[in-house]
Amino acid sequence: MILLFLTSGLFLGWTLGANDASNVFGSAVGSRMVSFTRAAVTAAVFVIIGAVVQGSGAAETLSRLGEVNAMGGAFTVALAAGLTVYFMTRAGLPVSTTQAIVGAIIGWNFFTNNAVDSGVLTKIISTWITGPVLGAIFAYALYHLVKTARRRIKIHLLKYENWLRIGLMTVGAFGAYSLGANNIANVMGVFVPSIPLEDADFGIFVLSGAQQLFFLGGIAIAAGILTYSKKVIETVGTNLMELSSEAAFVVVLAQALVLFIFSSSSLSDFMVRIGLPPIPLVPVSSTQVVIGAILGIGLYKGVRNINLKVLGSIASGWITTPVAAGILSFLLLFVVKNLFSIDVGHSVNPPASAGKGMSMAAIIRYSIPVLLFITAIYLVWLILSEKKKTERINKKYYE
Amino acid sequence: MSLFTRTNRELSIRIDEFFDTIEIGILIFREGIKAYVNGDTNAFQNHLAKIDDLEGKADKLQRSIENDMIIHSILPQQRSEMFKLLGQLDEIIDTAKKSLNEFYVEIPRIPASLSHEFISLSEVSGNSAEELMPAARAFFREPHLVREKLIKVYFFERETDKLAFQIKKKVFHEMNELSLAEKAHIRYIIHHIENISDTAQDAADLLASMAIRQML
Repeated sequence: MILLFLTSGLFLGWTLGANDASNVFGSAVGSRMVSFTRAAVTAAVFVIIGAVVQGSGAAETLSRLGEVNAMGGAFTVALAAGLTVYFMTRAGLPVSTTQAIVGAIIGWNFFTNNAVDSGVLTKIISTWITGPVLGAIFAYALYHLVKTARRRIKIHLLKYENWLRIGLMTVGAFGAYSLGANNIANVMGVFVPSIPLEDADFGIFVLSGAQQLFFLGGIAIAAGILTYSKKVIETVGTNLMELSSEAAFVVVLAQALVLFIFSSSSLSDFMVRIGLPPIPLVPVSSTQVVIGAILGIGLYKGVRNINLKVLGSIASGWITTPVAAGILSFLLLFVVKNLFSIDVGHSVNPPASAGKGMSMAAIIRYSIPVLLFITAIYLVWLILSEKKKTERINKKYYE
Repeated sequence: MSLFTRTNRELSIRIDEFFDTIEIGILIFREGIKAYVNGDTNAFQNHLAKIDDLEGKADKLQRSIENDMIIHSILPQQRSEMFKLLGQLDEIIDTAKKSLNEFYVEIPRIPASLSHEFISLSEVSGNSAEELMPAARAFFREPHLVREKLIKVYFFERETDKLAFQIKKKVFHEMNELSLAEKAHIRYIIHHIENISDTAQDAADLLASMAIRQML
């Protein structure tokens, strides 16, 4: 029964592996510096290790946003996120698994009358912005470092390329580890509170219940990488811009560092120990961090024309994805509860009453119709502009 | 796609050897023209045989470098440009060999009053190709130095054009003792010698764009 409920999470993991793995080694494979098989096997192994070893931090934050306390609820929330990602990808709209799962959890909170922790929500949303910004800063600095080092040491191009190849494999493994550590929360985070598994003792090491779930999620991501990411790389590729091998190295390293920072509890503890604020352990969208990193390299190279449409698509994704996932989650929970009579969870933390002033949840509740309206208008505008563009291209082509 | 192999080191040695071959070929070409103009047939034939060997060696090296780059997936992103560059560098030694062969087969009559100009033309045209080699070597280690090294290539190419123009003008305007066929033959031979610096210039253009891309 548990496995049946887990299928939606495993599906989500599979799509994450198929789509997001291209952020880790897509450019390396695309530039033919690393073979797909070698990259995919490395990524699959390290994604699982990252998920099991370091996945708990970001998952805990998601649990605090909404502790989905029934297996049926967790199943539906993951399904809603998975379907949102699937349909928005098919419609060609910018989407991120991270934002979809957050929206779906908020949808569950509304359905089960649980309060949305505004502190946690603010923390999560702030990382959506800081993630790409940090990616850009890291990429700028790293690219400068790589370029200066190359100029100083006067290394032969062939030798340099050999080092880059080794570097791409190494940072690819690190990137996959960080992807597993950070994004496993999207895949299995919602199941952790509702599926309490006993610790598994393997003699030399013990896997906690959450880690066993992360292991399963990691395998699903690995399966996505091994079975479908090649197709994603071939069809989508690095559609932002063609990267040189050293730029690819920097982008992957910057992305891995950002994901690592937002999932490392030891780093966060260290910050606290030295008197600095803790780092929020939150799942971040690897695609958006990669876009930030590419932007950083573009800025280093002195690119004057930044495609604001790409940046706009990121920002619009911050709104459209969670809203769409939240609404879908709410509707699916309604169907699952009333049509199939499956327990989807109950209220443990009801929102504060209206008499005590307007709570964050209430603000969100009232802003839903507004957001829905904005989203609908945005979708119509996107579809119309796309149609217009296609017509214009066709006209130009056939004339 | 091999990691931790000796292929790269061996390949860089072979690339250097390829550049050496082209450089020696240019020197032999200059000596060959000098020997022909001075009427030293034995020396000319020795140089002809030598440049023939060097051209064959350059061809072999070029093919082996290209094969290794494909088999071991070396420089996958710059490969097509690299092949083009190797091809253009090889074209320099090919043209040099062809020029000497033209002298051998067609035995053009170079008037004594043009000896000095002919030697100078081969020197300047050869210089243009010769100056390309340090730039090509720098591309692999210090791409930021390529552009400044290429300045001399462009300078000598312009000098070659000027000198060739002057000789042609002298032949057609001042040397009435030559028949039209002889004049046309000299013009044809001059054109062959000029070709070396033109090929060097094409290779320099390619090298400059490759270096810029490396620096970005």
